[in-house]
This record gives sequence, C-alpha cells and structure tokens, in this order.
Amino acid sequence: MSENRPPDPLARLGEEIDKAQAKRVRSQPAVSDRSALQQGMGAGLRIGIELVVAIVVATGLGWAIDRWFGTRPWGMIVLFFLGVAAGMLNVYRAVTGISGPVGYRSGGTAAADSKSRWDDEDC
Amino acid sequence: MAIELDPLHQFKIDRLIPLHIGNVDVSYTNAAFLMTLSVVLITALIVLGTRKHALVPGRWQSLAEMSYEFVANMVETNVGHGGREFFPFVFTLFMFILFANLLGLIPYSYTVTSQIVVTFALAAVVFIGVTIIGIVRHGFHFLRLFVPQGVPAVLLLLLVPIELLSYCIRPFTLSIRLFANMLAGHTMLAIFAGFAASIGLLGIFPLGITILLIALELLVAALQAYVFAILTCLYLSDAINLH
Repeated sequence: MSENRPPDPLARLGEEIDKAQAKRVRSQPAVSDRSALQQGMGAGLRIGIELVVAIVVATGLGWAIDRWFGTRPWGMIVLFFLGVAAGMLNVYRAVTGISGPVGYRSGGTAAADSKSRWDDEDC
Repeated sequence: MAIELDPLHQFKIDRLIPLHIGNVDVSYTNAAFLMTLSVVLITALIVLGTRKHALVPGRWQSLAEMSYEFVANMVETNVGHGGREFFPFVFTLFMFILFANLLGLIPYSYTVTSQIVVTFALAAVVFIGVTIIGIVRHGFHFLRLFVPQGVPAVLLLLLVPIELLSYCIRPFTLSIRLFANMLAGHTMLAIFAGFAASIGLLGIFPLGITILLIALELLVAALQAYVFAILTCLYLSDAINLH
C-alpha cells in the first residue's frame, strides 16, 4: 500500500467503494447469517468426533497401561470411565462455549462472559 | 474397471521415485508429490499474487489478500493481540490443509490428508508446540490449566485426571477429525462414481449424486481446514492467555 500518489483519484475511488459496500450491505444483510451458519457447521462437525475419540483413546491408553504394568482389568476400566467423562466435558464445553481450564471457546461476547465467570477469579 | 470397483484404491501410496537410505524407505511417493505440489502452489499464489503491490488488487492479489485477512482475523479474534506472532504458523497450517484437501478432489490425484500419519503429524506439532509455548510463557503456572478453580480438594482428585486426559486427547481429536472426514468423503465419492460407471444408462442417477457430493466435499475441504486452524487458535489462546 504505497500512499505517495495524488489523493484525488484515490479519494474518489474510496468513496465509490464505500458507496458500493453500503449498497451491498443494505441489499443483502444475510452475510452475517451465512458466516454464522458456517461457524455453526464448523462447531457441529468438530464436536461429533470429540466424544468417540476421547473414549477410544482413553480405553486404549488403559489397555496399554495394563499391558505394561500387568494390572489387567483395572487400568482399562478406570480409564474408560475417565475417557467418558473427558469426552463429555469436551462436548459440553464445545457446545456451551464455556471455556474451562482446558476448554474451547467459540468466540464472541457470550463466551467471553462465561469465561470470566468461570475461571478468571485469580489472574 | 478395477479402480471403479475398489473405492479404497485411491488411498494407495505409490513410489514414484524409489529411494532407500540404509534400511529406511524414503521413496518419493505420490503423497509426497501432492504435498510438494500444494506447497509450490501456495508459494506461487502468495509470491506471484502480491508481486505487483497494486493498490487496487487484481484477481490473484485479492485472493492472496483475502486468505491473509481471513486467517489474520481468525487469529486476532480467537487468540487476541498476543497471537500476532503465531500468525505465520496458523496461516501455513491453514493454507497447507486447504490446498491438500482441494487438490485431493481432482480426479486421479491423491488426498494427502486422508492419511492419518499426515494429520497426526500436523496435530502433534500443534499439540507439542502449544504445550512448549505455554510452559515457556508461564513456567509451572501452566499446570494450573489442569486445576479447576473453586473446587473442593476431594473432587480435584477426580477432576485433575479428567482435565489432563481431555488435554492429552486434543491431538487425537484434531487429527482423526480431518482424516476421517477426508477418508469417508472420498470413499463415498468413489463408490457412487463406481455405480455410475458400472450400471450403464441408469448410472445417470448416481452421477447426479456424485456431482452433489463433489459440492459437499468442496465445502468439507474448506471447512475442515478452517476447523483445524481455528482449533489451533483456541489451543494457542489457552496457552497464552492463561487465567
């Protein structure tokens, strides 16, 4: 962006762009709707896998621990339930946008509010 | 015909230039070729697109600027101002995944991101990087990430392992999401395209579905790159803006 040209044609162009943009915003207010839909789809696609992967990975980890330490059923059982809890926690956070200590935030003011309510007590 | 009846054939890795160093197979494969191609195309888009420095951007320059601004906004809103220095990383990640996904949609090409090795490597870089950044920035205070505030000490015994687990699961969810979406989408495409080729005149119906699926896959390709990048931003934000 070099600004060493005479401002007159540029200023005119700027005005024209502003005018065109104003017209577009008036004629189609659906732009924000569309980006909201996109964000919603992004969120939906990403939480679908959250629960499943958490359970599978945790259970697999438990199985591996059992193999290493010979604590046959217990590691798998305990980690399975921990995995369910962690998966649900992740899904809950992704859906509500509440960012816990390890969390997700979907952006926007609501998330910021809940974040400050949730865990901003001692910065 | 063999390809049409075998929807998983597209994920086969071929050695284009066989190469061995000692016992390690470092052949240049079709996957490596597609990765090279996407890196070259991204570089070409950014370098050639912004070469003219035009005040009023042409098509290519505005494409380059749009992708820059898109990622810059994403980093700004999700990480805050402290995230500016990580913009190059997020931008590289986003563009690479986007181009790998989109190039994979070209018939007879190869989808790099349908290999879990690739996506897991990307996710592991993000995970390890974010953890190191958090530790460097906050030292031991970073471990507070795993301790919820205002919780009775007895419950902490239960909650800390859960938090720890949900933190360690991040690279898996991040990689499996991208990999599964690509694998499923491309397999489905190959199955319907195979129907269209094998049942003759009636094949026009699966052909229509294939066209719709291509549109869906285009959406998924862009969306998954976006999801990967935005989750990277959120993880970075956790590590940088620690409470």
